[in-house]
Amino acid sequence: MPVFQTDALSKIYPSVRALDELSVSIEPGIVGLVGANGAGKSTLIKLLLGLIQPTEGDASVLGYDIRTQGLELRQYVGYMPEHDCLPPEVNATEFVAHMAQISGLPAAAARERASEALRHAGLFEARYRQIAGYSTGMKQRAKLAQALVHDPKLVFLDEPTNGLDPAGRDDMLDLIRRTGHEMGITIVMATHLLGEIERTCDQLIVIDAGKLLHQGSVADFTAATEVLEIELTGDPEALAARLVAAGLEATTEGRSVYLRSDGDAPFDLVRDSVVELGLGLVRIQQRRRTLEDLFRIETPLAETALTSGVEA
Amino acid sequence: MTTDQGSQHAQTSDASSSIYDLGYRRYEGARLGRRQAVLALYRESLRAAFGLGRSTSAKIGPAILILFALVPALIQLAIAALVPVGEIELTSHHDYYGGVKFILALYVGIVAPDIVGRDQRNRSLTLYFTRAITRYDYALAKLAAMTTAVLVITLLPQLLLFIGNALAVDDFGGHAAENWDLIFPIFGTALFGSWLLASIGTFIGAQTSQRAFATVGILVAFLLPLTVALVVVQEIDGGWTDLFVFISPLDLVDGVTYWMFRVDTQPMDSIVAMTDYALSWYAVAGAAFGLVCTGLLLRRYRKVQA
Repeated sequence: MPVFQTDALSKIYPSVRALDELSVSIEPGIVGLVGANGAGKSTLIKLLLGLIQPTEGDASVLGYDIRTQGLELRQYVGYMPEHDCLPPEVNATEFVAHMAQISGLPAAAARERASEALRHAGLFEARYRQIAGYSTGMKQRAKLAQALVHDPKLVFLDEPTNGLDPAGRDDMLDLIRRTGHEMGITIVMATHLLGEIERTCDQLIVIDAGKLLHQGSVADFTAATEVLEIELTGDPEALAARLVAAGLEATTEGRSVYLRSDGDAPFDLVRDSVVELGLGLVRIQQRRRTLEDLFRIETPLAETALTSGVEA
Repeated sequence: MTTDQGSQHAQTSDASSSIYDLGYRRYEGARLGRRQAVLALYRESLRAAFGLGRSTSAKIGPAILILFALVPALIQLAIAALVPVGEIELTSHHDYYGGVKFILALYVGIVAPDIVGRDQRNRSLTLYFTRAITRYDYALAKLAAMTTAVLVITLLPQLLLFIGNALAVDDFGGHAAENWDLIFPIFGTALFGSWLLASIGTFIGAQTSQRAFATVGILVAFLLPLTVALVVVQEIDGGWTDLFVFISPLDLVDGVTYWMFRVDTQPMDSIVAMTDYALSWYAVAGAAFGLVCTGLLLRRYRKVQA
């Protein structure tokens, strides 16, 4: 059974279509939700939490209807916002236990669960310290702990590595992986860093301008060798233009042409074209597709917005 | 595929990991949902308002004001204890709120921004709205917490006064039995006044995350109409200008108090005595005032960005 599914889900604000007929179905696992700022990630999350009403379409989360059963479904869903959201003047245990009660847990169970969640997030030693004294990394962990304290079946993480240094980022991604795999909690992780998705997630949703661009397994996506890199001396544009004229999808970057090749790669055509154009051929290489290719080839428009945020 | 990965991962971590890793425990216990959530929010807001579970400096402000509000009642008690003869009635129930009106305003101005402003300041509203409550639940729990906080300086001193007066006549049981009909107006005025003041305080406090602005705003909302009403009613003789008495929430509390205690002759310095409206009008105006503010509070939380 899918953890959540949406059916032509749309949210239209007076000035913008924040979400445009989105239909996805998500199986348990760790899901990367990728899109540029303003692509509709937050709108999708808010809709799935039952916080805002869709303009059109339907969706169910854990079997609950988002239009009518927001309260019930939110008992089983966790949310970690992108921004700072912790009160500085209380200690972490007290705060996380309070949040457990707001999720409907009895007081005694809430305290027990708070310890459990803080231990899982790696804050066990610091659990009685005031949050004001926490580092950025510890605050991110505390935010994760409050999202997990009521043992949800589904957790939304909004940019969970925001503001962390490389080591802190690795720790957080590792924690997310363990949370998803060992605890069996489905995680939807919104991010604009494709590298994080490749390292952490097993499913992928890509949205752009409110529309679904791609949905599927990360493994399937990266395993396939579907891109041909042709490195040249001379003008790659000329070759790209010729290949496009031949009905292929090609783009250029630096001194290389990237050619999308489903099935048999058109080596002969490439060779002949290079000779005819008088270019020098340095190498032809079949590449593993990375998530960046998704934006490079399928939507040149999204590329500019997204690749700037890609991890090295 | 996911499950394969999962079990594999779990095995390796079981094998390599260490003494302290107890493994993740699931929660199978009760989920009490909305009611538990709203009660927890109410309780925690109230605790926070008095600085409980927080630093000492957070406790000082409210504690001092509560003490001040209790002073007249405490004096009464002390006198009753020291001079146990005859009937000495220093402060009567129906004059009490008039005597402490500035303390009431100050108290609401200090406590309300704490109850409603804190979560906006910390940006933790999101965490509440993504849980087992609605935005209206949140707003009403906060209003209830604020009302309860105000009850501490309305109902508590009134009850102390009642005990003090009873002790003063040297026949505690007799006095209490004779005046049992005061109990209803004591509770009635305390509840009504606390709700009215709390609805105004939380409504204004919820408009900003800046504590200082909220406090000033609340003080202005109480004290400016109080002054304007007094000047207008006192200086302009008769006529429709007397209606200005209804713009001042603190005067409304006074009027409602006289109404509930059935006091026909008010002290001459009371603004209620300067106008000749039926006392029940104050109840109607006060209820309308409180309902409008409660409605505006709900509206604010329907719209506020989480």
